[in-house]
Amino acid sequence: MAISISSLFKKEVVEEGGKLMAKQRRFAYASLIPILLYMGLFTLFPIVWAVVMSFFDYTPIREGSGFLGLGGANPFIRMDNFIELFTGTSKPAEVFRLAVRNTFLFTTLVLPLNLAVTLPLAVILESINERFKTLFRAIYFLPAISSSVALVTIWAYMYAPGWGLLSMMFKAVGLVPPKSWLQDPNTIYFGVPLAMIAVVVAHVWQDFGYNLVIFVAALQSIPKTLREAARVDGANTWQEFWLVVVPLLRRTILLASVLTVISSLQVFVIFQLLTRGGPKNQTQTMLLSIYENAFRFANNLGLSAAMSMILFMIILVLTIVQFRILRTEWEY
Amino acid sequence: MNVEKKNRAPFWILGKSGAYAFLILGLVATLLPFFYIMVSSLKTDAELRKTPPDFFPQQPTLKHYLTILTDEKIPIERNVANSVFVSLARVLITLFTSSFAGYIFAKYHFKGKNLAFGVILIQIMIPFQVVMIPNYLLVVKFGLIDRLWALILPAMVDAYGIFMMKQFIESMPAELMDAARIDGASEFGIYSRIILPQMGPPLASLGIFTFMATWNDYLWPLIVLTSPEKRTIPLLLVWFQTQHTSNQGLVLAASILTLLPIFFVYIFLQRWIVDQATQSAFK
Repeated sequence: MAISISSLFKKEVVEEGGKLMAKQRRFAYASLIPILLYMGLFTLFPIVWAVVMSFFDYTPIREGSGFLGLGGANPFIRMDNFIELFTGTSKPAEVFRLAVRNTFLFTTLVLPLNLAVTLPLAVILESINERFKTLFRAIYFLPAISSSVALVTIWAYMYAPGWGLLSMMFKAVGLVPPKSWLQDPNTIYFGVPLAMIAVVVAHVWQDFGYNLVIFVAALQSIPKTLREAARVDGANTWQEFWLVVVPLLRRTILLASVLTVISSLQVFVIFQLLTRGGPKNQTQTMLLSIYENAFRFANNLGLSAAMSMILFMIILVLTIVQFRILRTEWEY
Repeated sequence: MNVEKKNRAPFWILGKSGAYAFLILGLVATLLPFFYIMVSSLKTDAELRKTPPDFFPQQPTLKHYLTILTDEKIPIERNVANSVFVSLARVLITLFTSSFAGYIFAKYHFKGKNLAFGVILIQIMIPFQVVMIPNYLLVVKFGLIDRLWALILPAMVDAYGIFMMKQFIESMPAELMDAARIDGASEFGIYSRIILPQMGPPLASLGIFTFMATWNDYLWPLIVLTSPEKRTIPLLLVWFQTQHTSNQGLVLAASILTLLPIFFVYIFLQRWIVDQATQSAFK
């Protein structure tokens, strides 16, 4: 009797527990389904749509026939958008190929300049008094939190021809400033147009705060004993930097570099507003081309979608690299 | 002892004062553009046209600021209200969806959980310009072109926010939840009365970030908003740049006014903001 009661009781508890679990599961599903549907509508479906659209000659101006207006007047053209972008002679295709080159040029210039500024600055910053460190770090990060549009206004004023602050500074130290920083297509240094250099400088100024705070955080996590040991062994600060700090920061530098490249490939505001892609398309970039072909000069969304796929593939490879770096085991 | 002293001397030949000199050089380079625009925005029109210009205004004036704030032709109240509305709506919605979904992922066990989380994380890996064109067409289909909801609807769920909240909630003890269940709390009640009140710091970080990102957002509003009274602040500023090329003072003052609200937030919350930015790199 006693045994059966206790077993009955046990069974009830289990059942009760099972019911509880089922109730919780229902709650979890009911809560997540709207969120997943939302992600489906605004992330997954658009990705698929963009991929499909890149194989169509699509513009919303023409009424298509099939699902989403793809088909009929907006025909399926297989790889033609991509073939056009890589080899075609139409204006958008030629400008896009220039844009690809410019985007890579921009990224290639931004990365080393960014590291050359942020690494030494982070090492010095890390070594000073805590109170000043916080203050300096906060100020260096100021451009990074600012509205890009406002910063472009600032730089347009700094780069104003003749009487802009940069020209004035050049004159003050006895240099001859260029006639026009942003609009002269004929001033080219080592194959890099002056306007591109101007954009790179403005962008690095705006963006260096991110890598700086990442490096400062990484430096703080390096055990003091490692650097002290190097010093006890007679290393000077220069050697300590190159032989201890840089190798220990290798993973962080790699990660910061990948993040910098990914974000540099997608810079928009400064190109659209400071140079408008000019002069003579010297600062035309991939994202600017995508925007202009889709929304500004033409409504050629199929071609723009193909452009965005090319940019996406490049970024995807870099993102995979980023995740691999993040997953590597790391210990000081 | 000697080591400790050397520890404070960073660069090999620069020494301590050299290090500070380098830092201050960086400081000047960072602040000079802001400072120059600020002082220039206080110049009179005549002074702005003067060549070569003086660095500081000779007769400082707030004229340009007053023009922007009071001129009837500039719908600044509307534009500020638009930015505030969109930013607050996105902050509140993102905080809710992130913390709620984060709670589900952190505290419930069910089939397909990893798959569902993976689906959400896809958003982090997809650059904006890939979904930009289809999302524009979606907004057209929903009839939201030139409406502020076009800025809110596609940005209601933030995968990074969910990820962040999930990590935070995972570290909270399950005992509290069980105790609340015994007391008869509903599952949603556990979220709203037990979990949410403990989430101040991470919600604040996410909220600040969402606010700044929305306030500064430019490309998406540029695509979906068309009429002057629907503009957000960055669009207003760009309109200023194109309309008032001859009136530099107005453009400069407008830039400063655009920057100020974020600077104001930043002064009080800079530690949080910088820490959050650092962490997001290692997400």
